Amino acid sequence: MITNMNIKRAVVCALCLVVLTLSVCLIVSPKKEFSENENRYLTKFPALSAKAVLGGEYTASLNDWLADHFPMRDFFVGLKSQAEIASGRRAINQVYIADDDYLIESYAAPQNTARITDTLVSFYQKIDRTSVDVKLMLVPTAVTIYSDKLPQNAPASSQMETAQAIYSASGIPSVDCARWLADNASQGQLYYRTDHHWTTLGAYCAYLAYCDAKKLTPVSLDSLTAQTVTEAFAGTLYSRVNDYSHKKDSITLYTNPADDLTVTYLDTGEVTDSLYNLDYLDEKDKYSLFLNNIHPLIKIENQNAASQESLMLIKDSYANSMVPFLAHHYSTIYVFDTRYYRDGPSSFLSEHPEIQNVLLLYNMNTLDTDTGIRGIY
Amino acid sequence: MVFSCIPFLFFFLPLCLILYYAVPFSWKNGILLIFSLIFYAWGEPIYILLMLFSTALDYTNGRLMERFGTTRPRRTVFLCCSVCINLSVLAFFKYADFAVATANAVLGTQFAQPGIHLPVGISFYTFQTMSYIIDLYRGEVKAERSYAAYLTYVSMFPQLVAGPIVRFSDIQEQLHDRRLTFDWFAQGLLRFMMGLFKKVLIANQAGALWEEIRVLGAANTSVATAWLGALCFTLQLYFDFSAYSDMAIGMGRMLGFSYNENFRYPLTAVSVTDFWRRWHISLSTWFRDYVYIPLGGNRKGVTRHLFNIAVVWFLTGMWHGASWNFILWGVYYGILLMLEKYLWGRALAKLPRPIQHAYAFLIVVFGFVIFAITDFGELGSYIGMLFSFGAGRLADTRFLWYLGNYGAVIAAACILSCPVYPWICQRASGLSRKKSCALSACAGVGVVLLFVLATAYMVSDTYNPFLYFRF
Repeated sequence: MITNMNIKRAVVCALCLVVLTLSVCLIVSPKKEFSENENRYLTKFPALSAKAVLGGEYTASLNDWLADHFPMRDFFVGLKSQAEIASGRRAINQVYIADDDYLIESYAAPQNTARITDTLVSFYQKIDRTSVDVKLMLVPTAVTIYSDKLPQNAPASSQMETAQAIYSASGIPSVDCARWLADNASQGQLYYRTDHHWTTLGAYCAYLAYCDAKKLTPVSLDSLTAQTVTEAFAGTLYSRVNDYSHKKDSITLYTNPADDLTVTYLDTGEVTDSLYNLDYLDEKDKYSLFLNNIHPLIKIENQNAASQESLMLIKDSYANSMVPFLAHHYSTIYVFDTRYYRDGPSSFLSEHPEIQNVLLLYNMNTLDTDTGIRGIY
Repeated sequence: MVFSCIPFLFFFLPLCLILYYAVPFSWKNGILLIFSLIFYAWGEPIYILLMLFSTALDYTNGRLMERFGTTRPRRTVFLCCSVCINLSVLAFFKYADFAVATANAVLGTQFAQPGIHLPVGISFYTFQTMSYIIDLYRGEVKAERSYAAYLTYVSMFPQLVAGPIVRFSDIQEQLHDRRLTFDWFAQGLLRFMMGLFKKVLIANQAGALWEEIRVLGAANTSVATAWLGALCFTLQLYFDFSAYSDMAIGMGRMLGFSYNENFRYPLTAVSVTDFWRRWHISLSTWFRDYVYIPLGGNRKGVTRHLFNIAVVWFLTGMWHGASWNFILWGVYYGILLMLEKYLWGRALAKLPRPIQHAYAFLIVVFGFVIFAITDFGELGSYIGMLFSFGAGRLADTRFLWYLGNYGAVIAAACILSCPVYPWICQRASGLSRKKSCALSACAGVGVVLLFVLATAYMVSDTYNPFLYFRF
């Protein structure tokens, strides 16, 4: 018979059952080392030592281990994010839940502008400007270009104010890609919905801005081969929000059939003919397919380039999807990732007098938070 | 170990309860003791010795007082011995750094701070053991014969680290004889769940917003944002602290113990006096019974009464933490209580109820700002933001942003700060059996679902993208 007492019994039994089932599953379930969804290594089982036990660190890491290997962890982590979004939260881990299924990384007030400017000034002063043409491209992220998609009242610092301050204080001629991106914002998807990078289309807009500044004739999109390689790209912002019901992205690659490329990864010595490594399509972080993820120095040669000039590209990961367009214009491109290239590109430049063009390309978010740019000088 | 973590909820508590119910009654205290010691050692492996020392001291003193304390002066010796040692231990472990820092600031000296980290729960268990020895001195309890039973009382994990401060007199009989029924277990479990939801789903969220607002800086904080921050801290503290009491009372029930209530909807108080009858009741009654009344309370003239209030509230402030802002917070309440007693208390009671509620609520929220910020410079600038009614500073879009993001949690917290649950229960008692069953069935499903949600929050807790992210 249904009585209040019986209902109470049923509830108590249900709660006990949930607890016991989960704890038994936690003990017997197989343990993963890496969480694909969260894009991070999970805590390892803590090593037992007298010091760790007495200091309390042992139990603290045991706590983390249990949480990391909890049964149906993805379900629970996703549930929390969905509950937060349902309760009205429009920012999770500094990522805005924006309109049209966009996840947009917020831009915090910059902390390192003066330091970055100093580095750029030092770099620029050392260069012989009569023979080398230097350009600086600071790329706004989706938070600026898609500001109309941001949730209502979202607090924002202006990326373009910071960029202008750096342009004028460093004295390096700028490439105004922000205007080109803003003008083309309605032409297609310029940034990924689930990742902090721009799409190949966004990179193409910035490439047009570069050609405009350098008086080059840009290659039209129609003459390139477009190929959609995946429709299941769940990027870094997806992993920060952890709403696993979120729509995923597709990645479109452009190749110029006229080019004949030799790509040399100078750290590993590997040589290929492609700017893409499609092996990364099987992994979580699919953006890594551009220029084979991270390398301190890459040399790209094009037999059929439009000129015999060389370009030194000093950049962050944003540039990786722009290189396929730039490759057509230079017989040699040296690509530096200053987070990992330790010797300073300045000395490389003085050792290679054949380089007449330098492009510095950084996005406004990692410019301030990542120490990479300090490696240029 | 905290109650709202995975090891506790999914291993410690179930294992403890299974063993506790499996063994015969005479073993139950033993099981409880072993688990309590494990519980304490989990977070404080070294300081467990301090707790064992404290309890052994008071247990021995109690036995000696019973055996040899035939006259009042003799009993006083044992009392003083116990109280002095207890307070010295508390003073050393809790206030040594504070005392050295204060001395350095006042005298301009450069003594190094000893850098002692505070043993978890020391303020709570010291007050518990002192209540035993004082009650014994007054002849209100009998000395406990069994050290194991006494240690069980002091170290009992439900109330060990965050109260309520359980008096030995309230629990002595239950230590040796208590009833274990399904009904009590069920009540206890549901009470525990309520505390868990309050802590995980509300207190932590309100706390996150408070932390965000606190560090915004004057340029980004409007008056409305500053008050929202203060409200969030108030809600965080109330929901955190009362959640711990709920969980303690709930687990006590599951184990067959009955603890007194520690909070009675303090945010709905109608005066400061009323607030302190509803907030952390076990602490305010402790100070009432062991400090205020022995000093003479209000029976020795106005000057003495004011002095007594001053002493009690200075100590109450100090108990909350080794920092001047806590003392300031205590003194703030001491002064307000004096003013209510001698100036406007009666006039206040004649005002319309909503005004009385608003008066008490604003005082409480403002008071918690003093409680929240240890650094006086930061405290001063935060209070400045609360009252900077200059042009364009009243509210901004950032305030609206926070309201949109956290409005639902804050609204839920405000509703749950009022006695809605007793109100529903009262209304439900008049319903037909069918309707009442439907209501409890819905509530039951709700509890199970909320438990799943709370688990999700606990599981996601270790996730910190800025520490772990792989680029």
